[in-house]
Amino acid sequence: MKTKHIFSLKGTTATTVILATLMMVFSCSKTVNDPVASINIPSSLDENAGNWKPYVLAATSEIPVAEPNAATSAEYKAEIQKLKDVTSKITAQQREQVNYWGAGAVFRWNEIGRELAARYNTPPASDKDGKYPLPDAANPLADPKFPFANPPYTARALAYLSVAQYDALITAWNYKFKYNRKAPSKTDQSVLTLLPVTDLPSYPSEDAVVAEASVIILKAMFPGEVPFLEQKLAEHKNSRLWAGMNVESDISAGAELGKAVGAKVMARAKTDGMGTANNQAKTAEMIANARTIGTTEPWVSQEVPARPPMLPTYGGVLPWNFDRPTIVTLRPEAPPALGSAEFQKNMDELLNIAKNQTREQARIASFWSDGVGSYTPPGHWHRRGANLCHDNSFSEVRTARTLALLGTAIQDAGICCWDTKYYYYYPRPNQMSRKVKTSVGLPNFPSYTSGHSMFSGAGAEVLAHIFPSEAEKLNAMAAEASLSRIYGLIHYRFDCETGLATGHKVGNYAVQRAKTDGAE
Amino acid sequence: MVISLQKNLRACSAAVLALLGISSAAFAQMPNDAIYMSKNTACLAVSYSHSSWDKYWENSLKRENFNIGTHTTQGVMPMLAVGITKNLNVIAAIPYLWTQASAGNLKWQRGFQDVSGWIKYRFVNVSGFSLHAIAGASLPSNNYVPDFLPMSIGIQCKTATGRLLASYRHKTGVYLTASGSYIFRSKIKIDRDAYQAGDRLYGTNEVVVPNAYDAAVRVGYLKKGIQAEGFMEHGACDGGDNIRRNDMPFPTNNMKSTIAGVYAKYQPKNIGVNARAAYVLDGRNVGQSTSFSLGVLYQFRYIGKSSEK
Repeated sequence: MKTKHIFSLKGTTATTVILATLMMVFSCSKTVNDPVASINIPSSLDENAGNWKPYVLAATSEIPVAEPNAATSAEYKAEIQKLKDVTSKITAQQREQVNYWGAGAVFRWNEIGRELAARYNTPPASDKDGKYPLPDAANPLADPKFPFANPPYTARALAYLSVAQYDALITAWNYKFKYNRKAPSKTDQSVLTLLPVTDLPSYPSEDAVVAEASVIILKAMFPGEVPFLEQKLAEHKNSRLWAGMNVESDISAGAELGKAVGAKVMARAKTDGMGTANNQAKTAEMIANARTIGTTEPWVSQEVPARPPMLPTYGGVLPWNFDRPTIVTLRPEAPPALGSAEFQKNMDELLNIAKNQTREQARIASFWSDGVGSYTPPGHWHRRGANLCHDNSFSEVRTARTLALLGTAIQDAGICCWDTKYYYYYPRPNQMSRKVKTSVGLPNFPSYTSGHSMFSGAGAEVLAHIFPSEAEKLNAMAAEASLSRIYGLIHYRFDCETGLATGHKVGNYAVQRAKTDGAE
Repeated sequence: MVISLQKNLRACSAAVLALLGISSAAFAQMPNDAIYMSKNTACLAVSYSHSSWDKYWENSLKRENFNIGTHTTQGVMPMLAVGITKNLNVIAAIPYLWTQASAGNLKWQRGFQDVSGWIKYRFVNVSGFSLHAIAGASLPSNNYVPDFLPMSIGIQCKTATGRLLASYRHKTGVYLTASGSYIFRSKIKIDRDAYQAGDRLYGTNEVVVPNAYDAAVRVGYLKKGIQAEGFMEHGACDGGDNIRRNDMPFPTNNMKSTIAGVYAKYQPKNIGVNARAAYVLDGRNVGQSTSFSLGVLYQFRYIGKSSEK
């Protein structure tokens, strides 16, 4: 045997160097490049927004806001003094919150709405008896959590959020320019401010209006999140004091107005038909009807155990930009007969992708998947919309208008799509061939037309109108979102193409409103 | 000469071990024995592995999923171990994997996964007792989809592993080996630009994947071309989140598992075979997999081929 060495310095050094290098390579920068929104400086005051057309309110004067104390009054001077005390003592953490909310009130609350949608977007698990328990609004944090924030649910939640923000803001604008109270730092130049100050009158506070109206809606839509929402609300309102942007009476008047508008908008929500959108008793009748109009093999759930279809009567929910009878007129023609040459051609395309899906097809399918655990396609388009408003330095009120137009169009698209889905009750490709498996997850409702395509067509139609220089890009995105459902192997091409075209048509109703709402 | 040949044959067994981690957990368990190829000698091994589960831990809840049924990962992996000196070996491997689910509608995935390379160095070797420093790294060989779990074949991390291994082998052939590792894992990019992790919604395509660690104990017998071993392994992530209720797994999950298994090898001459079976006793955010693998080993001299004969 050869001599054995006990310790080799050379080897140990080499190993140490290798390990140290590896540590340097891999331990550095283990943070992600999550975008941070900058402080928004509105490019316009939108002075006339008090005359813009509301959605739910009869007029921007429907809810009264009392005249504020004059700038010369002792009360106001005391408020300014108090504000100076606050701003002189702010902490680094408070400054951070000022910057966070400085990105925009509507921008941030839309982002919060999307985050909650993602958090609640998980379908209930089946229980021991093979049943799917219904989420219970009275017990939102039990299993399954309430709500199941699926695409139709999220479309509606974000539509109400944006509408409440918009109606509240145009009302606030009405009173802002009626009472014309200047920003605290314009009245007293010794008030320290942490955000850019414009000539926008400060009473009632647009931030408080948006915060309270948003919280009224979001508490109703996500009742398990009340403590989280209360905390965000307090933080948002306080951030305006810390920043030296508003005195307390600006905030409290805005808060009262926001609450009042939120309540009006919620009154519509309570009677819009959502309460009966999950009427499973209707499906037998729907299936029978689908058979009579040519769907020889109606859709059945592909889950085990079979899951009741998602919101079968959502097509009866009250739309925003047209009346209920219009829904039927927007219903597209029947899809190809099952087994027809046209059907087979579409099926063959899917069978081919099932075998040979390219990496690029998988990427597109995944990018637009917006499935379980995500903010859904409505959330995806709200994010695009909010970012475009921010990138274009829109005022609070114009941002709210854009998202209200977008949000209502997207919910309208959802309503029309669900109407069509349950009218034709058309089977998914996966039901027609076991060889077709999905790379994104299989939705539990009929195939025709594609929801992604409808949502995206409507979303792109509205945003392209507001941002004409982006039109080509937005329409291409919608087309890609639509195609992604073919690449993901859950829709026939005709589901997607018809859905996209119909989505654009639905979106056009919101565009027509935009042309006459007083903002253009 | 005989001793040297035996040692080389033993070293061949390292090949099979590489597959176990890939199929049972997201982090690779790689060369983890105290056996070396001697200088100028190499071993090529090809293994087939099969790992399946019909129950998994969703966070701490052990459950089945009727829309997955039985989930199976199979793989074939070529691996090359090369003796640079008698105390320094280099190992490289790349697995080809394919997944499937017996029920439901999730699409299979397949392809080459990550290339891995290892340096194994014995720095103490006295009276049957030895200490080893092992460093490894892996790189994804292509841009397979990392976040379509549990169907994805991997999670796209670049990894770097530092491992210390201690071994004692009695002259009767009985041995005891213990090892521990820390695995650095890079952040990854996914195809989406939004995802949830740790109760937060991120608005980027970059995902921070937690680092991982493992520890293992092996007891066995090794003499004259015969090896038989029983082992226990525990692996977990250094942080990470859990699978949300009734949601799918995600690369940020803290995947933990405790595994028991057996391993055997027979290699009377240059050509040998080995087999391994393992079972996940307990875990979090992983499937309770049963896995087995079979390998064929071929050992050869790459310099001075004739001198050994």
